[in-house]
Amino acid sequence: MTAEEQRRRAFWQVLLFTAGLLVLTSISAGSVYLVNEARDDNKWVLHTIEVENQVNALLLEVRRAESGARGYLLTRETNFRNDHDKAVAAIIPALERLTRLIGNSPAQRQSIEQLSAAIQTRLGQFAREIDFVGQGQPEKAAALASEAATAGTTITIGSVASAMIREEERLFRLRSISADRSQTLAASLTGIGSGLVVLLALISIWLVRRSARARDDAETRLRDANLNLETTIDERTADLREANDEIQRFAYIVSHDLRSPLVNIMGFTSELDELGKDIFRRIGGLTGVPAGGPPVDVAEIPLDGPDKQMSTDFSEALGFIKSSIARMDRLISAILNLTREGRREFQPEKIDTRDFIEAIVSSVAHQAAEAQAEIHIEPLPNIVSDRLALEQIFSNLIDNAIKYLKNGVPGEVRIRGRTKLGYAIFEISDNGRGIDPKDHQRIFDLFRRAGTQDKPGQGIGLAHVRALVRRLGGTMSVSSELNAGSTFTITLPISWNASNRNADQ
Amino acid sequence: MTLPVTIIMIEDDEGHARLIERNIRRSGVNNEIVSFTNGTEAMKHLFGADGTGLKQKGNALLILLDLNLPDMSGIDILKQIKENKYLKASPVVVLTTTDDSQEIKRCYELGCNVYITKPVNYENFANAIRQLGLFFSVIQVPPAAS
Repeated sequence: MTAEEQRRRAFWQVLLFTAGLLVLTSISAGSVYLVNEARDDNKWVLHTIEVENQVNALLLEVRRAESGARGYLLTRETNFRNDHDKAVAAIIPALERLTRLIGNSPAQRQSIEQLSAAIQTRLGQFAREIDFVGQGQPEKAAALASEAATAGTTITIGSVASAMIREEERLFRLRSISADRSQTLAASLTGIGSGLVVLLALISIWLVRRSARARDDAETRLRDANLNLETTIDERTADLREANDEIQRFAYIVSHDLRSPLVNIMGFTSELDELGKDIFRRIGGLTGVPAGGPPVDVAEIPLDGPDKQMSTDFSEALGFIKSSIARMDRLISAILNLTREGRREFQPEKIDTRDFIEAIVSSVAHQAAEAQAEIHIEPLPNIVSDRLALEQIFSNLIDNAIKYLKNGVPGEVRIRGRTKLGYAIFEISDNGRGIDPKDHQRIFDLFRRAGTQDKPGQGIGLAHVRALVRRLGGTMSVSSELNAGSTFTITLPISWNASNRNADQ
Repeated sequence: MTLPVTIIMIEDDEGHARLIERNIRRSGVNNEIVSFTNGTEAMKHLFGADGTGLKQKGNALLILLDLNLPDMSGIDILKQIKENKYLKASPVVVLTTTDDSQEIKRCYELGCNVYITKPVNYENFANAIRQLGLFFSVIQVPPAAS
């Protein structure tokens, strides 16, 4: 999974979370608002009903006052008078209450003004009717009553009241519809909100599942890649090991098989040598002894002239053949030894490097004295390695340092050591004849040598040393100029263990 | 009375065989030498057609064995000789160009009596063969198991 994908996924998750939060908040806010709205609507519905009731109550009181007045007019009984008075007393508070209830609704305000004017008029008429009855002029009161009935004060009251009731009924319908709408809205808002939340939750689950799957896939791929890598490394290591083994076997077989014909060549050369001696002895016997004379030991007869020359040539030829065979034998033996060394298993052990080098130095003390060389050992780090291999490495290098000194200059060989990052670095430097930089690679090759060939040697030592150093997990280099001494640097792991190389053998 | 010892020489290189024979003779050993240049024929001679080795019962043998044979390994021959009840008493001299200590050790473990590395140096070789000749004349080779 790339970083870009990861960032995108995180972004989506944050976005989803925010969206969910927003939806929840707006649902809550909307719900609160709508519930308030509905409550208001309901309040208004209730108010309408109250207004209606109040109008009806007012009308009832007006009717009671009227019927009380009529009853009193007809019978002059105080019962009716009392009844009428009670009703009239209730009319004004009822009207006031209605006015309060109506508040400042403009349409109703107008109606109430008409109503209250009509009621005032009627109340005045009532008062006059009662007065007329009190003064004993009932006909005047009756005329007033009938005038009120016909002139429309009562009718006006009735019609205005019913108009008010109709208005209130209209309002009631409107407010009911509004309340219904609020409720419907609240319900749908909740529904849509819940749906959104569920949808967001589903998307989140999907996203989480997708990322989990992606992670599992990535893990599987990583595991596969690791396995593949290990397999590849194992395969390569096996290939390398096989190639190395093959080279070792090849070198061994070649050197071994080369020896077989060499045995014949050497053997029959010696036979020829013997034969040649016999032949020349016989020639000497035939030419040097007079015929018929006493037998003489043929070995004691000297050859003369061309015979002697032939014998010398013969011996010389055989001598060259023999020395060449001996050289070839040494080379083959060297290769055999190298391949054998390559197969030897190392045994790591703790080595007190100073004691170890001192032992090597004392073993070459005789050569050093002959070459007038001094060997200085500086403090050296101790290491864990194969003793035999180290012995071969150091004795070869110290031997070389003493061997290739400048003629006539007292030798000075210095052995230094230090450690760096888990490696011990050893330097063996001398003030000897040095090595031309163009030969620095060549001297490590098998059977190759450099410089003046005035010392015996096969050209094996450094090749062998470098092979050993490599097998010990180290490296080796040389820095040198002609006539300016040489420094061989060996870098070896401080603690070599069998697992780094022996496992590969 | 003992039968004269027969020398069985198993050596694929005819030159080597000739050199060995010459030097044995030069050392004054005149025993019969039977030469084989490959392992199969030598095995047939030693173990007979039936492969039991019964054929050699009672014969006194001394075996000179080269380890590098074209058709089989000398080590195998040595092993079979030393496992055969009629042949195991016969001394076996391993003659080879290899001076690998592992191989020498293995040969002695398998019961080889003498291991001689074929030296290229002729004088040393002749000396070794001469000593082998002395070995032949001094040691009373026991007859094959009866």
